[in-house]
Amino acid sequence: MSDFKIHHREGEGVNVIELKGYLDAHTAPELETTFQKLLNDKKFNIVVNCKDLTYISSAGLGVFMAYIEDVRKNQGDIKLSNMTAKVYNVFDLLGFPILYEIYKEEKEAIVRFTQPKKS
Amino acid sequence: MKSSRQHLAASAELLPLFEYSKIINSSLDLKFILGTLLLTVMGKMLVSRGIVLVERESGWFEIVSAKGIQQELTGHTIPLARPSRAITQLDKLKTGARPWAAFFKQHDMKLLVPVIVRKKLVGLIALGERLGSRKYSSLDQSLIGSLVDLSGSAIEKAKMIEELQDVNRSLDRKYQELNTLFDLSKEFNVGLDANRVLRLLTFSLLGQIGVNRYAVCLMKNGSIDIASSRLEVQVDLTAALQLCCLLKSPSLVSELYRKKKFKSAALEFDQAGIAAVIPMQVQNETKGLILLGAKLRGGNYTKGDLEFLYSMANLAIISIENARLFREAIEKQRMEDELAIARDIQQGLLPRTLPEIPEFEIQAINIPSKQVGGDYYDVIQRSENEVVIAIGDVSGKGTPASLLMANVQAALRALTPMGLSLPETTARINDLTSKNTSSGRFITFFWGSLDVPTRVFRYVNAGHNFPFLLRANGTLERLEVGGIILGMMPTMVPYEEGSTTLQQGDMLVLFTDGVSEAMSAEGLDYTEERLEKILLQIRTLSAREVIDKITSDLTTYTQGTPQSDDITMLVVKVL
Repeated sequence: MSDFKIHHREGEGVNVIELKGYLDAHTAPELETTFQKLLNDKKFNIVVNCKDLTYISSAGLGVFMAYIEDVRKNQGDIKLSNMTAKVYNVFDLLGFPILYEIYKEEKEAIVRFTQPKKS
Repeated sequence: MKSSRQHLAASAELLPLFEYSKIINSSLDLKFILGTLLLTVMGKMLVSRGIVLVERESGWFEIVSAKGIQQELTGHTIPLARPSRAITQLDKLKTGARPWAAFFKQHDMKLLVPVIVRKKLVGLIALGERLGSRKYSSLDQSLIGSLVDLSGSAIEKAKMIEELQDVNRSLDRKYQELNTLFDLSKEFNVGLDANRVLRLLTFSLLGQIGVNRYAVCLMKNGSIDIASSRLEVQVDLTAALQLCCLLKSPSLVSELYRKKKFKSAALEFDQAGIAAVIPMQVQNETKGLILLGAKLRGGNYTKGDLEFLYSMANLAIISIENARLFREAIEKQRMEDELAIARDIQQGLLPRTLPEIPEFEIQAINIPSKQVGGDYYDVIQRSENEVVIAIGDVSGKGTPASLLMANVQAALRALTPMGLSLPETTARINDLTSKNTSSGRFITFFWGSLDVPTRVFRYVNAGHNFPFLLRANGTLERLEVGGIILGMMPTMVPYEEGSTTLQQGDMLVLFTDGVSEAMSAEGLDYTEERLEKILLQIRTLSAREVIDKITSDLTTYTQGTPQSDDITMLVVKVL
């Protein structure tokens, strides 16, 4: 089956989720489980590092949509970082850049949790 | 002299124009080109305020750049109906004469310059007052016109690039949509699990369309259920049900308003924040609906969105239907397996071989129905001189019926060697079984003991169909003596014993209601009368022949109507 891995790291008040491989309808439930666990543990500051994410389908994007509301309701956020051009293109095509904060580097995203963007 | 001065002036004008042309022709960005054009014109004319717009859709213009006035205008799209295609001095227009001019007058613009490339209006440049309140002379106007003309090919090139980018993007989107459908069609049928299908469907809805308010309603036996929902208010299901029956194509709620039959549903959905309704169809029959709220990133649902959603909805419902059919098939298989067990139990209860006694011919038949009815017969040779015969029918079908019958058989087999009287034994079997039965199950039971040397037959009939005793002389008796059916309640009134002496040529025929109630194609019972009539005709035949004749008469009578109950017969012929 498709190769997909999730690695969870916990920094200072920020949880970093590293995604690796194919995130499609087949593997989306795994990411769902991860997000659900973070929510259950009341961990709402989440950075998803997409460095090794090779593909994302709309079912994969749907998992982000399904949890963003609950996370933001709890004063947290899901921020994304280190996307390859191919993955960013899918995010961009489906209009996600206006719904999510996307950063070039993971540390920029982490910093935003302590120094919110001026809007 | 004069002409050479003019030449000099002209070349002084030309040099910067050459520079300008070089700059804009090296760019493919329409906004940059138009912005540079505006600034160049403003510089030449000494104007501090100006706006440049580009036509996006017919009648709609995007403000690409605004200088010297509110910056927030930039990026907005405004409607301008048929603006002038000639350079126009805005002050010379009468107030209200040209509706499109109002926007420019409002921002104190003085001159409007159309940007026309190959006879097509591409955009507009509006200029404010010149420094020192100088008028725009006709020479100025023609210079501006030349600048615009000079920019023509660069603008055209940039527009083409923009269009190509648009086409590319929409192709990318289509590719992405196809990928999603492909991805889902692979995953939907894994495991044939309707809940999994629903989850993947909603993820893809959220991801592809960018919507976070939705509900998936599914039809179930003529009513509708919400299978998955993320709406802030409860949806009225009657409206959904009505749509489910009538709606044949994906629709915006705003479109539903226009059709009278959908108006009330549209109002209901609108209040629940639903913007689009997608029917889920299998072979043109709507089996469910997807209700969708507004798109989070703004904008309306496009025709392309609706088409994509419709394909996805149909893909999902087919898988949900398949999962349902699969579950039903499994359930059916499980029931069949259970029936096979019941049949095994029942067949295991029946004697494999019948005792052979020189003075009697004993024959029996049991044809179980598909549902396994719980019929039973038994022949037990207790000693050289005594044979016990029995027949019974448990109410109900399947495994419970066959287990209860196993109970009766065990009781019978355990009690007969104890030397009790027939009524006493019957009372004990009844007490045992009524303890073990539940919810009104019962057994009709007939049994008797045949004394071989004297041919005396003693019996108890516990509510079973009266067996026939066909005498050799042509008379017919029914064996009725006994008591109540087994299993209903503990024995209160003792069972009675019937007794008769058999003669040579006499025949006992025991049967269950599977025989008398066998059904014809018209839905009529075979009846005991018909059985009696045929028995009288064939009473001289052997026990085997009698069973065969009745069996074939039953086949003729039922004409292939499915057998709903077990058919059992036990025949004893005195030789």
